[in-house]
Amino acid sequence: MIASLHPPAHALELLEPVAESHGAPSPHSGSAMSAAFHSPSRRKPSVLHIFKIYYPDLFGGTLTVIHRICADLRESFSFSALVCTALGGARTIDVDGVPVERVRSLGDFLSLPMAPTYPFRLWRRMPRHDLCVMHAPFPLADLVLGFGFGRRQPFVVHWHADITTRSALRPIVQPFIRRTLRRASAIIVADEVLARETPILREFADKCRVVPFGIDVEKYIIPEAERAAIATAKRQNPGVVLACGRLVPYKGFDVLIHAAALGDFTVWIVGAGREQSYLEELAAELGVQDRIRLLGAVSDEHLVRLLHLAEVFVLPSVTDAETFGLAQLEAMAAGCAIVNTALNTAVPMVARHGIEAYTVPPRDPVALADAVTALLGDSETRQRFGEAGQQRAAACFSSQMFKSKIEDIYFESASPVPSRVEEPARAQERGLSIAGMARLAAVLAWSDVRHRYVRSILGPFWMSLQLLVTVGVLGAFTSQMTRTEPFGVLPTLAVSLTVWSFLNGVVLDAMNALPNAANLIKDRAVPPPVFLMQCFFRQALFALHNAIVPLGLWLAFGSLRIDNVVAALPGFLLFCGCALGLALTLGALATRFRDVKPIVESSLMLAFLASPVMWTAASSNPKALVLKLNPVTHLFSVWRQPLLDGTLAPESMALVVGLLAFLVAASGFALRQMRRAAFWI
Amino acid sequence: MSRVLLQDIVMDYPVLGAYDRSLKRLLFRRALGESRVKVVRALDGVSLAAASGDRIGLQGPNGSGKSTLLRLIAGVYPPTSGARDIRGAVMPLLGLGVGVNPDFTAEDNIRLLLRIGGHAFDQAVVDEIWDFTELDERARSLPLRTFSSGMQMRVLFGAATAFPTDILLLDEWLSVVDQKFSAKAEKRLRDLVSRADVVFIASHDRDLLNRVCTRIVTLDQGRIAGVATADARGRNELNLERLQA
Repeated sequence: MIASLHPPAHALELLEPVAESHGAPSPHSGSAMSAAFHSPSRRKPSVLHIFKIYYPDLFGGTLTVIHRICADLRESFSFSALVCTALGGARTIDVDGVPVERVRSLGDFLSLPMAPTYPFRLWRRMPRHDLCVMHAPFPLADLVLGFGFGRRQPFVVHWHADITTRSALRPIVQPFIRRTLRRASAIIVADEVLARETPILREFADKCRVVPFGIDVEKYIIPEAERAAIATAKRQNPGVVLACGRLVPYKGFDVLIHAAALGDFTVWIVGAGREQSYLEELAAELGVQDRIRLLGAVSDEHLVRLLHLAEVFVLPSVTDAETFGLAQLEAMAAGCAIVNTALNTAVPMVARHGIEAYTVPPRDPVALADAVTALLGDSETRQRFGEAGQQRAAACFSSQMFKSKIEDIYFESASPVPSRVEEPARAQERGLSIAGMARLAAVLAWSDVRHRYVRSILGPFWMSLQLLVTVGVLGAFTSQMTRTEPFGVLPTLAVSLTVWSFLNGVVLDAMNALPNAANLIKDRAVPPPVFLMQCFFRQALFALHNAIVPLGLWLAFGSLRIDNVVAALPGFLLFCGCALGLALTLGALATRFRDVKPIVESSLMLAFLASPVMWTAASSNPKALVLKLNPVTHLFSVWRQPLLDGTLAPESMALVVGLLAFLVAASGFALRQMRRAAFWI
Repeated sequence: MSRVLLQDIVMDYPVLGAYDRSLKRLLFRRALGESRVKVVRALDGVSLAAASGDRIGLQGPNGSGKSTLLRLIAGVYPPTSGARDIRGAVMPLLGLGVGVNPDFTAEDNIRLLLRIGGHAFDQAVVDEIWDFTELDERARSLPLRTFSSGMQMRVLFGAATAFPTDILLLDEWLSVVDQKFSAKAEKRLRDLVSRADVVFIASHDRDLLNRVCTRIVTLDQGRIAGVATADARGRNELNLERLQA
């Protein structure tokens, strides 16, 4: 997939006849082939945005930037996003043509979404995209990337802010952020100041790329028809001071309300957030509730009208989390005079003190009140600041420039890098899914069984006869030892021996299966797991056939109750799952490591003697520690106990379920490792 | 539309010595933090593109990576790094193994080989393959192990070449069939080659490659040492064959 982006240099060389070429060009080389080669490269690179939240859960600066990138660059890239949501709803939604996958979050902790499955989803999603864009700060993604997942995936960090507000977490997440940045092919920052003033970014100065946010200035100019209405509204609401942003602590709206209490002006605040009630109470407390209006979230068009209605725009942010202040840029584009704060970020660089704005110290309501009052009383300066701001927005922060710079960085970073090929692709090519492998394994196993019957003279019944004799002898023996009635133990003994020989056979066969199938694996590219599954099916067929012996004995000497058989089924399925898991795991392990086979063989022997196969736990001391610790005991008791008397020990069940879970995980690992099985045989 | 696209393929072949084969030793060495398994670089930066209609010959000395490259395309070996993009069904006919199980009858082996190849077939196909081998009808139900090696080859070759495929990988298949059978075998193989979309043939036989291939890639120590297009005469002959087919 990645290779299709650009033809590799060597491949191009191959297209041209070189050195020893003779005669006319081949009908197959040249144009026809390069056409075939190039046509898929028209596919747009796929870019994944990684952030903690997205529309419609929240609106705000960072999200505006992501939304803008998706909208502006949709011609060049196909975008999608992976975010968290605490609201629930559909898992994948469409936001203006961008598919957004939302991972459920349990809520926020220190402004971090608690989404336990997010790292897993991220890990799964990353390889499917040509480029991942991580929007910092988002420590949850740092954890995934910092641990080295998706190592071969190209990605870019879009640095919106440092994690200042979560200083408690800093020592823990800082190393991961550093590792993430180390792996990123580029770090996009909105202003040079950020690259210079953020300590951790200074370590990666060579990777930092300054891309100022851009806005579409045209959008902020009021159409001729509406101007009269705006002027009327302005006369009705004179001297409005506007602020805009999410209602969160770092935005400093509380400082603005304090300033309003000190001065004498009306403040309208646009935006929603968790501080809403606190700000309302504060205004009431200070006795300025009639001059403070919290307007909530408003539409873009409405915001433009508000910006034109207002005399002064204030960005009162108090911490460096405010890295740029997109809101003030919008106000500048609308020709509004600005008051902002002297943060260590791009905020005072976007609207500069004395040119487009008055810059006051952060958290200083007195200075803020003074600056606002001064501007409100000086229409000439207001006019000057407004015009300068409009010019600066158009000249330095145009959306066109933003778009082309981002596009360049994405294209550079998404360019093909050699990467490990994904295994599922290969399985599809060969037309062999897990189900396909199982089918082939079943066919092979069936032919094994058929062959075995054809070869022996007594045919199918020879094996069963053997089992019958073994059961008879062992039954006589055990009944002597335990002084029980000989015919009573026979059915149990027969079924136990049948199942044991199944388990024993599966494990022993599986350890030899891959070397025996070496030529099919290496020369015919048959996936190795097929042969391990074959062992399982083959032994299952043998066992099924041998089941005639215990069934006959049970009918003759025991009382077979249907409800007991039904009760035994779940346990027996678990047992079969464990047998298959053992086949896959031990089969792979014994092929890779030659010393595993003798260990397993002797362990099986030991397990046969130390487990209640020939005898039942009840006939010895059921509390014996040796029995309790032996997993084979439990593997048998989960189906044999229900079969005998309808009871089931819960701890056996729990243990076997745990064992199965472990074997499923181990088998998954073994299946992945078996891609390399051809190296081992 | 089939294609094979390899880009900067590097493949390290782990050389597993007796020590590397021991789990006990591995755990012991991990605990001591010792170095890892030795590897041999079997393929080193191989890039190759083949689309429908390409017949690519691979030549080079023994151990130059011909078979390894074919196995990598077949998906037997995973690449260490680099991108592998393969579209279409791959049919690898690489080693000269002895069928699925030598204890089974010849006919059962044919059936299982066809199943492994992923083909749906009926008795007519099996009969056709048997006719092709020119072996006695009674031999059908004999175990494959009772056949001479030449007879085994006929059976396996017949089964392997019965169905056309998108991408065919051949490793020295022509040079092994016996003299009497070889003309017939080559015709059948050419028929198969002509029906496949993309063919890779590894061989020491330069004449054969010239006759069949549109491009010949020379490998040396896991690298592409040169690429040549086959001469016009060879291609004309191939086209004639294709018209007949």
